[in-house]
Amino acid sequence: MQKRMNWSLWIGAFLVLLLLIVGVIGPYVAPYELDFQEKLRNEVVGGKTVIISPPLPPSDEHAFGTDKWGYDMLTLLLHGAPYTVFVTLAIALVRLVIGMGIGLYIGVQDKPQRWWLAIENAWSYMPIFIPVYFLLKGVSINPLMPTSTLVALFIGVVAVLGAPSVASSIRQKTEQIKETQYVLAATSLGAGREQIIFRHIVPHLKEQLIIILVTEMVAIMTLMGLLGMFDLFVGGTKMTMDPVLYHSITHEWAGLLGSYRGFVYSNYTWIFLTPLVAFVWAIGSFTLLAKGLREKFEQTYHRTPFI
Amino acid sequence: MSYVKQLLGMFFLVIAVCGGPFMLYTVKEEIVFAPENVVVHTVYLIQQIAGGSLGTYYLGENERSIAEDIVPFAISTFELLFSSVLIAVVASLVFGLFLQRFRIVRHLQKGMNLFATIPDFILILVSILAAIGFYKMTNIRIITLSPTSDSANSWFPMTLLAIGPTIFLMKVISLKYTQIGGEDYIKTALAKGMGVWHVLIHHVYKNIKPFLLADLKKTIAITVANLFIVEYLLNVVGLTRFIFSKSGAYQFNAAVMGLLGIIFLSILVYLLIRVILYLFERAVVYK
Repeated sequence: MQKRMNWSLWIGAFLVLLLLIVGVIGPYVAPYELDFQEKLRNEVVGGKTVIISPPLPPSDEHAFGTDKWGYDMLTLLLHGAPYTVFVTLAIALVRLVIGMGIGLYIGVQDKPQRWWLAIENAWSYMPIFIPVYFLLKGVSINPLMPTSTLVALFIGVVAVLGAPSVASSIRQKTEQIKETQYVLAATSLGAGREQIIFRHIVPHLKEQLIIILVTEMVAIMTLMGLLGMFDLFVGGTKMTMDPVLYHSITHEWAGLLGSYRGFVYSNYTWIFLTPLVAFVWAIGSFTLLAKGLREKFEQTYHRTPFI
Repeated sequence: MSYVKQLLGMFFLVIAVCGGPFMLYTVKEEIVFAPENVVVHTVYLIQQIAGGSLGTYYLGENERSIAEDIVPFAISTFELLFSSVLIAVVASLVFGLFLQRFRIVRHLQKGMNLFATIPDFILILVSILAAIGFYKMTNIRIITLSPTSDSANSWFPMTLLAIGPTIFLMKVISLKYTQIGGEDYIKTALAKGMGVWHVLIHHVYKNIKPFLLADLKKTIAITVANLFIVEYLLNVVGLTRFIFSKSGAYQFNAAVMGLLGIIFLSILVYLLIRVILYLFERAVVYK
């Protein structure tokens, strides 16, 4: 068979790498301080006095413009990047660990565990952002706690609530592998449960686990975006009462997108488009990576239809 | 009996979810986890229901009765939900199954898959942007955000809501199509000289149907998740009003009623789609 270049994999991997780099160095390369604000000022342009007031459109000074309150968009994005990338990664990892623990344990049982299947089934129809929204609403808006606690809480809640779906796919795969001949052979040779899990099942799950990790990251970013639409941001929401406005404390990308979504109706669309593009880049690169990985692993099982 | 059990389970799940803000809150920089608070509110809710009222909620400054508003809200949510799921099912059956063998449709699907890389809520946001741009250029209005306006239209939110489930279901069906298309019985049927449409209806469709039904629930779940976004962002007056208040305090009664309403609507939509599929089979497959 002619081998084709797996574009999704390479482009996805490159974009993800870029994202990780931005996540690490972002706050250090930001052009302005986080609290730098463009104020209303008069400037003489060609002999005439012009009032310059934020929001400023994209220019040499502000590559992506400023928001309505005069904050530099690029600076906000770069400061938010670590949260976007590493909170997502942390949640995905915790989910994977919990899911592996439950999935492997339930999967190797001799009888199907009905109570767990019932939970899995019921939970799969629940849009996760609803329980997360309601659980965190009381804590996250005008928080009294430090941001780090809130981020940790967010990671914990989202990881635990999302774990059943990860556990489900690991369990199904485990059950498939458990039925194979070589596991039967190992059992008849006297292999214990741990031996079977670690010597036979986990090595076969490796590819699957990588795919699950990346797909979960996409799902988690989507979730953060959805929560942002309802003004619940990672690391807390600052709510001002008069007028009612919501600001992201960490400037995490999904949060910026959520808090600036109102500008979609204004003439200052860059305020809305900048976080949108950043967020789509983040989510798109992981989706591409997941697609590329899946294609790479699935090539072996490819079938062509007759009609 | 098991249905009653499931309904009761659903009721308590909704209570548990809506009780979130009472369960987890902060007092002086400390997180308090107090699930018992939910019980108090639940008892109050059940008392109100037993008293023949569903309680009241605040819409802006006005206190309104839930019972009065829930029916018109539910009807508009139902219209949105049902038509979107129907669009998704019909489109994915037509393009994922019956027309899949044409190259142009497969290219269309590739385009859709590319589209699907972007999460649904971003597609919704971008299409709002596109609709505004379109209006600025051509003066043709496709989006109306004021729900009381005369030109309020329902097809725009409907189409937006249909995007997510259609992408999902079409992917599932065309994947299954590829798998089933490679089976030996298809080869046999074709070798015997049966027509392509005959094979599609009697061999492929019948074998895809279990997967379609299994994923129908998931499709509806995806539609419901997007429903909140569409109703919230496009100002559709529906059950989402009860659940997410745009400003103001959290309202337990309204949220419980809204979520329960949406669950019942999704069950209704599921049953209706099953009926439509049954009629389709009676008319086309087993005529």
